[in-house]
Amino acid sequence: MKLRLTMSAILALAAAPAVAEGTINVLTWEGYADSSFIDKFVEESGCEVNATYVGSNDDFAPKLMAGGGVYDLIAPSIDTTQLMIDLGQVEPLDTAAIEGWNDIYPKFLALDGIQQDGKYYGMPYSWGAIAFMYRDDAFDTPPTSLAALWSEANSGKISLWDDKSSIYVAARLNGDMDIYNLSDAQIEAAKQKLIEQKPLVRKYWSTAGELVDLYKAGEVVISNTWAGYQSSLLADEGIKVTEFIPEEGAEGWMDAWMVVKGTPNKECAYKFLNMQLSEQGQCGVANVNGYSATNGVAAKSCMTPEQYAALHQDDPDYLDSLLIWQPLGERFEAYLNAWNAVKAQ
Amino acid sequence: MASIIELDKLSKHYASIAAVDDVSFSVEDGEFVTLLGPSGCGKSTLLRMIGGFEEPSGGVIRLAGQDVTWTPPYRRDVNMVFQDYALFPHMTIGENIAYGLKLMKLGRTETAQRVTDALELVGLHDKIDQRPHQLSGGQRQRIALARAIVRQPKVLLLDEPLSALDAKLREQMQLELKHLHEKVGITFIMVTHDQTEALVMSDRVVVMEKGRVAQEGSPHLLYDHPRTPYVANFIGTTNFLDGQIARAAEGTARISVAGVELEAVTDSPRRAGEAITLGFRPEKVRLLSEGESGENEIPGEIAEVVYYGLGLRLAVAVAGGGRVYVDSLLPDRLADTAVPAVGQPVRMALSPGNIFLFDAEVA
Amino acid sequence: MTLLRERLGGAAVLGIPLIWIAVFMLLPYAIIATYSFWIKQYPTFVPAFQFGNYLNLFTDPQYSKVLIRTLKVSLLVSFFAFLLGYPFAYFLAFRCRSQALRTWLYMAVIAPLWVSYLLRAYVWKTILGTEGILNSFLMSVGILSEPSDIFLYNQFAMVVTLTYIFIPFMVMPVYTSLEKIPRNLVEASADLGMRPIPTFLRITLPLSMPGVAAGFTMTFCLTFGDFVAPFLVGGPDGNLVASVIVTQFGTALNWPMGSALAIFVLVIVLAVLSLSDRVERAFSPKEA
Repeated sequence: MKLRLTMSAILALAAAPAVAEGTINVLTWEGYADSSFIDKFVEESGCEVNATYVGSNDDFAPKLMAGGGVYDLIAPSIDTTQLMIDLGQVEPLDTAAIEGWNDIYPKFLALDGIQQDGKYYGMPYSWGAIAFMYRDDAFDTPPTSLAALWSEANSGKISLWDDKSSIYVAARLNGDMDIYNLSDAQIEAAKQKLIEQKPLVRKYWSTAGELVDLYKAGEVVISNTWAGYQSSLLADEGIKVTEFIPEEGAEGWMDAWMVVKGTPNKECAYKFLNMQLSEQGQCGVANVNGYSATNGVAAKSCMTPEQYAALHQDDPDYLDSLLIWQPLGERFEAYLNAWNAVKAQ
Repeated sequence: MASIIELDKLSKHYASIAAVDDVSFSVEDGEFVTLLGPSGCGKSTLLRMIGGFEEPSGGVIRLAGQDVTWTPPYRRDVNMVFQDYALFPHMTIGENIAYGLKLMKLGRTETAQRVTDALELVGLHDKIDQRPHQLSGGQRQRIALARAIVRQPKVLLLDEPLSALDAKLREQMQLELKHLHEKVGITFIMVTHDQTEALVMSDRVVVMEKGRVAQEGSPHLLYDHPRTPYVANFIGTTNFLDGQIARAAEGTARISVAGVELEAVTDSPRRAGEAITLGFRPEKVRLLSEGESGENEIPGEIAEVVYYGLGLRLAVAVAGGGRVYVDSLLPDRLADTAVPAVGQPVRMALSPGNIFLFDAEVA
Repeated sequence: MTLLRERLGGAAVLGIPLIWIAVFMLLPYAIIATYSFWIKQYPTFVPAFQFGNYLNLFTDPQYSKVLIRTLKVSLLVSFFAFLLGYPFAYFLAFRCRSQALRTWLYMAVIAPLWVSYLLRAYVWKTILGTEGILNSFLMSVGILSEPSDIFLYNQFAMVVTLTYIFIPFMVMPVYTSLEKIPRNLVEASADLGMRPIPTFLRITLPLSMPGVAAGFTMTFCLTFGDFVAPFLVGGPDGNLVASVIVTQFGTALNWPMGSALAIFVLVIVLAVLSLSDRVERAFSPKEA
């Protein structure tokens, strides 16, 4: 899996599959087109599914801009959906053609970044937190603050996502909680904080598989994580880790399916959207990735009560406590530049 | 004269093959000695052992009385002219020649002087700043010589020095080398497979066969008194005929061969009835004209006529199935009728002193 | 008629590769060069003609830092590849008497080229890791009492990995140039009184310089453009210029900046190539 992820990240351009009748190419996260629930869809709908995986939200734009009309569907996160709309890469959704649209939690439908001019461009699919995670056997007292990622005690055992989100983390540690609207000075402060942390960092992780590897090889004991995902992969490997939401809070994310502008496979694309929003897709991703569902009705009927609770399906307070990603728009460059400067250091 | 090089029971074995097998001879100071033999006879290996590039499997090499058997080449007072010259391609001619002087601590002026002298000796002082690739084969050859001589070694080794040159240039260089030897007075030991080169240039020739010395001596001695058919054949052309001693006396013998009996001079005592190989040079055979008679007449029939400018070479079939080559210089004006025709019967004469006798089993 | 046809045939033979080069090499460079003058503007970038991206290269310390680091790593990799590759090639060309052994050893160096680059980089990860083979070995022989994390995820690991991966590109040209040196030049040097080490320095090394220059150029340029090693075994301080270019073209959607960086790298690589070409020519034994 590790290899597959890396390969898809590096050789993405080479992965342009042949387009057959009734074949949809989806550019998405690993697990979002898992055979555990996609096989059934392929059989019932007659639509073949070719999935290409991304390691980061920043992979969507370059791949779509490379042209070639390769992809039919994409599933970027809420901080990237607006960019897709602004790039003109996606088309408005025919929400009437999507069964269960009205069962989506209103809070997600109201988020910035999936609507433009009164039309929906993104179908909320799954959500979760960018939680933090530590290896149980490495801590006598469980960490509760981001300060643990800046602590000498964990020197050489810390990892952070190689992503602009590291600026969010550092800003919160600095007490700047409005992380999506940071001023230049606040970004600079976050950058300095990250430079200060750098000697303690073992490696910045880029893919889910890489982070799992780092924990497995004993290189890392604390990091941020895509809540529910890497921890379950590690649990499968017999490595005990605990996720936690630090005192400084955590970011939240939501992924939305979008239809690439001018797709010739609209019929299959909408069949796919319908499946993903149904119990089949909602519980499919919950079971594979450990992510929460956006269709409360479907979640309620296909999840066990324990899973339903564990995934905070009906927990408005939890959702409200998360700082849900927002499109950064023109400020994106400032954030990214600061992060690049940290890495260049 | 003192021996400058002494080889004492020198051997070189590769696995089970003896490339050089128990060779002993010495070279006098100032002598020009040639090691002659076909490829694979061990002559190059022998030379390379003298130069220090091969370690002997046994035996001793002495240079000016000192044992140098295990001395590395860079501490031997001998220098080598390599077959393809081995000039350093990344250095100028001047740098090539000065290379061997670097460790002599001569000082700049003296070095420059020696380089100039060496170049003048070979007539190429105008090439000092050129690179080897800009020179012709003959010029490179001379530079290789100059580079070796400039160190004023006790012995100069030459490994087939002329083999890469064309025939014309080779002839010219033979004499040049000989003159150079006379001029510098250094001992030369040359390896060649070319008998003409050996005869023209050397004071002494060592003929080698299968790693051993077949015979050594002056060119004259080797030509006129080859000890074995191998030597006789390697130096010059020799007719060989198988025969039998009819009668033997002190210093002479009568041999029945090709249907006749011939008189020959012999150094070793012979017994009547002994099988023998008899050899003689084509140019020592005289064709008898009609009515003329001579010593040791052999009748035959002309089988082939080859014209080679300087003269004619006739192949004459003799009784017993042998074939004899006869070289004859052409008269000033050659009348067409005088050219012998194939099929024509002839008689040949051969003086007893010009016949070599070899033990039959050696042949 | 036939003449014309022959000419057309000839034109096709020459023309197709030329068109190929034009379309697949020169055109992309021209496009990149054009982009490098454009300007970043949300959501992507717009045509312009300005030197801001190039100016950025020199004024924003993040670029100069990465460039200098890349230069350093590339030089180190080339140097170590030379240090390890040269003696090996020398042994193969001059000391190894057995033809079979020579072929075998040569193949042993070249064979990894047939193995996926990623796989080879991964191998080093398992060797250098905190719980890796190197640490286990050092602990088993008592040099370390607990595993050290100094071997992986830093510049050392990158240099080791890249040296290992690119060493064939040093060994191959050096071996070829050593092979071409006539053996009797070394003998001639000894004959002229030079001991083995001065002989090596004055004859063998200079005559193998074309191979060294070629090997150095290849390892240098390959390292300069590498972004996989920083990704796999590089640490927080392991960003190289190729990774930055990838980021600019990908994450940042700043193709103009990425293009300016790429053009700058191209200039460096061309400079190295012309320098090595000069070295090669200076030392090449020309044939008459």
